[in-house]
Amino acid sequence: MPPQLLIARNFRSNALKNRAVYLLILFIGILITYAVITSWSGFVKQNESTAHHQTETRHDWLDNPDKHPHRMAHYGNFAFRPKAPLSIFDSGMESFFGNTIFLEAHKQNSVNFSEAGFSTGMLRFGEISVAMVLQILLPLLLFFIGFTSIAAERENGTLKIILTQGISWKQLILGKIIGLAQIAMGVFVPVMLVTFVLWFFLQDGHITSDETVRLLLVFLSYGIYLLLFCVIAVLVSAASKTSKSALISLIGLWLMLTIVLPRASQALGSYLYPAPVKVTFLANIEKDVLKEGDSHNPDDIHYKALKDSLLTAYGVDSTSQLPFNYSGFVMAEGEKISARIYNSHFDNLLRVYDAQNSFLKATAFLDPFVAIKNLSMSLAGTDYRTYTDFQKQAEAYRYAMAQKMNELQIKYISNKKPGPDEKPVVIDQKHWEEVPEFKYVQPMVNTVFEHETTSFFALLFWIGLLYFMIEILSKELKVN
Amino acid sequence: MFKLAFKNFLSSSGVKIGIAFLIITGLVSLVVGNQFLAKQAENVEATAAYQKAHISKNVQYHPDELGLLLYYVKFSLVNQTEPINSLSIGQRDVNPSIQSVTIRGLEGQKYDADLQNPSNLLLGNIDFSFVLIYLFPLFIIAFTYNIISEERESGTWKIAAVQSSNLFGLILKLFTVRFLVVVFTLFLTLFLAVIFLKIPLNTRFWLFGGVSFLYILFWFALSFWVASMSKSSSYNAVTLLSAWILLIIVLPAMVNSYLVSAYPVPEAMETTVKQRNGYHEKWDMDKKATIDKFYNHYPQFKTFGYPKEDFNWLWYYAMQQMGDDEAASESKALREKLEMRNRASTRIASFIPSVHMQIQLNEIAGSGLSNQLRFMDETGRFHEQLRLQFYPAIFKESPASSQQWEKFEIENFSDNSMTSATSAALPLVVAILLFSVLGWVRFRTMVS
Amino acid sequence: MLEARSLTKRYGSHLALDNLNLIIKPGEIFALLGQNGAGKTTTINLFLGFIEPTSGSALINGIAVEEHPQEIKKHLAYIPETVTLYPNLTGLENLQYFSSLAGFNYSKQQLSDLLAHAGLQSQSFDQKLAGYSKGMRQKVGIAIAVAKKAKVLLLDEPTSGLDPKASNEFSEIIRSLAAEGTAILMATHDIFRAREVATSIGIMRQGNLVSTISAQDISANELEQLYLQTV
Repeated sequence: MPPQLLIARNFRSNALKNRAVYLLILFIGILITYAVITSWSGFVKQNESTAHHQTETRHDWLDNPDKHPHRMAHYGNFAFRPKAPLSIFDSGMESFFGNTIFLEAHKQNSVNFSEAGFSTGMLRFGEISVAMVLQILLPLLLFFIGFTSIAAERENGTLKIILTQGISWKQLILGKIIGLAQIAMGVFVPVMLVTFVLWFFLQDGHITSDETVRLLLVFLSYGIYLLLFCVIAVLVSAASKTSKSALISLIGLWLMLTIVLPRASQALGSYLYPAPVKVTFLANIEKDVLKEGDSHNPDDIHYKALKDSLLTAYGVDSTSQLPFNYSGFVMAEGEKISARIYNSHFDNLLRVYDAQNSFLKATAFLDPFVAIKNLSMSLAGTDYRTYTDFQKQAEAYRYAMAQKMNELQIKYISNKKPGPDEKPVVIDQKHWEEVPEFKYVQPMVNTVFEHETTSFFALLFWIGLLYFMIEILSKELKVN
Repeated sequence: MFKLAFKNFLSSSGVKIGIAFLIITGLVSLVVGNQFLAKQAENVEATAAYQKAHISKNVQYHPDELGLLLYYVKFSLVNQTEPINSLSIGQRDVNPSIQSVTIRGLEGQKYDADLQNPSNLLLGNIDFSFVLIYLFPLFIIAFTYNIISEERESGTWKIAAVQSSNLFGLILKLFTVRFLVVVFTLFLTLFLAVIFLKIPLNTRFWLFGGVSFLYILFWFALSFWVASMSKSSSYNAVTLLSAWILLIIVLPAMVNSYLVSAYPVPEAMETTVKQRNGYHEKWDMDKKATIDKFYNHYPQFKTFGYPKEDFNWLWYYAMQQMGDDEAASESKALREKLEMRNRASTRIASFIPSVHMQIQLNEIAGSGLSNQLRFMDETGRFHEQLRLQFYPAIFKESPASSQQWEKFEIENFSDNSMTSATSAALPLVVAILLFSVLGWVRFRTMVS
Repeated sequence: MLEARSLTKRYGSHLALDNLNLIIKPGEIFALLGQNGAGKTTTINLFLGFIEPTSGSALINGIAVEEHPQEIKKHLAYIPETVTLYPNLTGLENLQYFSSLAGFNYSKQQLSDLLAHAGLQSQSFDQKLAGYSKGMRQKVGIAIAVAKKAKVLLLDEPTSGLDPKASNEFSEIIRSLAAEGTAILMATHDIFRAREVATSIGIMRQGNLVSTISAQDISANELEQLYLQTV
């Protein structure tokens, strides 16, 4: 057996003789079980309620009697955000996202009812999920087990004997890393199996290749992540004089990586790039829309020009003589303008948020925790990108619905206002079907590569960095 | 002797770095708090300016039709941000501090979310409560985990034990020195906060400072108890850090997910759906039935009778009212569910000092869920008052000029409810007593 | 064979070892005496390759330690001052683990023979090391060294903390190893033991080997006198 494996086996069996280690592993196991159960039931509940409301509101929509299409445009539709299957693994930002958006003509409503909005201060301590255990607690467990790996051999004097037996520093370090990694995998592999089983059943057997790629990438990136922490633990232990100082350094490092650095870099980002407050955001949109054309203002240049060109083209002298519904035409124009302006403002807002988040993203090069956190959320479909994607699809749906109703109005509603005793103008309810049901389509996994390139590169960078550190320390380390 | 102990403790560069780190993060938290206050102020200012311009523009556009004018006009209510709020931002970054509503159906408006970057929310603010709840304990652990074990490991303990006639007094002194240094750091930060953020020195502030002090004392008591078990430094470090993780990461997360699943709020979605249908289906129903229902709700308006026209604003607002009325039971259930959540979480929190602190600090600073609920209630009253004020004029078909628009400025809600000092302090005091007594008993048996 | 050629180690301005020249042939036991900080452990660490010489060189069987740090490990064995080893493992398991690190995969019988040869009672073989006395652990250390079949043995304060009986047993084993052709270098404070077991004795002071005496030529008392005068 190569000496690295001998060292690994010796380290592993020695660590596992410690009863505290079993207790900690048991504790982590209980936490994971708890996380799995709660996120499973949360997933089932939320998706059931989403599906229920989606069907119900669809029925409501279709059951509307004959009416004026613009009434329907205001009756509107709801979009309910479904949970992604992998959200049972990493709940990510889910709790901070709204779940429901009301879609109507002329108005981009907010996505309401986030879990956070209904939460007490407790949510802000963080949420429990399998990903959280793997990202935060398991590395700490690896530190607790790994801090003695080489420092204790140095304290005992066994280090000298080991080196005298012809073992090189590199063999020793690799052996300890392998041993620690075996323990890590002993926890990680069962967790991944459970995740796989849950993931498989939650999709009722309709497994897409896209979801499979996501899951495989989750396995791979967490595997790498945990390995990085094994390497860090062993290297810090190797560089420490005593195991106590190794422990203190590792605890300090863990706190920096998981608590302090992520918060600090995000705080810095949001401090340097302040985002607009809602009232200003909406006021600016309103201002820009009015600049382009105010359909309520009879003297508005834009709409006057529109009217004049229509009258000339059709050779008539008033809009009521036009062969189609003029006010429907004006509304379609208004919708087009306001939606375009809204979207451009929304994109600007997203750019500000991106700038705020850029610090955190870059921190991945200082902190592998940040890299895995961002990557994992993105793969699980619980990141901000997926959410804005939902918002954008909902807005696109809203726009199509509003314009469909305008189109029906232009086509079927008479240009003459009915008199006080005439029947109000309506169209047949069969037209309601022409608006399809809203279905959110999760973006493909390649968007993850686009948005999380930094995180991917950061993980690669960490692999390189630690490899380099192993090489350097193997040459530089001293026995005493 | 005490002076020497201080000098000995403060001479370590690690201690100096630790204290400096705490003070610096404390200052950062004050800067963050200041930015939060500035943003809130900017928000209020922008809203006030907007409301003014918005009203005058709409009055100009719709001078004759008050019903149409009030279809558009939004009135804002501000949940006032006290300066002390910046020390514990709590839920204030999630929930909007300004509600802008038209007199149309309230249920469709009052849950409107604020604009937020979820990454900021997910990672949380570096406010003072974070520094206090997360970071102070870590440094207390770092300063105390090896108080006795280190001396025992290096052999100096035996010498001290032989030299000192009052060993327990010596232990107490070592703890007291560290406690005084940490408390000094806490009060220094709070003192700077008072000056920098202009926090008034009222009961709120003293209560805030008082429970913060107790929280520090709690961690010292815990560390005192751990030290009394006379284990190795590494064992103490691991035990105390595990306690930290349990109190700050694991237990809050478990309790949170318990609360979410024990008190789900399906009423939220139901409220909105009900509200929409309640209003919209009235368009296709008999007008009289709708107006009758409206008169049942507001008998005082019966004198306006039943309008004949095809479209009329009385009918329109009656339909809007029906949206709210038909969603009322869901809305009430939602309100009650949230109240239950809040109560349950406060109750459970009294057993978890870290969570208890966060909830109490939020309560004191007016940034918790209960403040949000009271603000929502106030929004309801504000909205109702606007309706009652405008309905007669709308139904009379008065012109826009009949109203004194300049009077409609943004209104403020100041939350005067205050948590009792007992409920804030008691759970901490119990925990402190428990651990100090346990530690004291163990030390007594050890040294005698 | 051990050889030091103008071996010098400097830490900043402090001269830890000054121009040491020494040859220890197979079968010889060389004892280094001297106060703490005289340079004894520095010398041993230089031979082990744990530190690098500032100038000069240490050679094991003619191979320069600095140039072939891994190669020379095959030729030497080492027993540190306190042999802690792994308290959770038995004596046998400790021996098995360390021998396998050196590339020797002994059978259980061979391992037992090695422990017995080092003087350990057979009932202790399968007991955890946590329950061993210092002398017993020292014997496991010897077994580990012997199991390597190395021709050079380095000992750092091997008898410190041993009771007289254990110390005596230890001397016996060292002498028998030398008789089998091992070159042995030991650093010690134990003047009596040094004279009894060593073939040559060197006294060090402030990094210098100030005198070298053949153990046969001097009585224990004379050696003590010399030591006290020198250091």
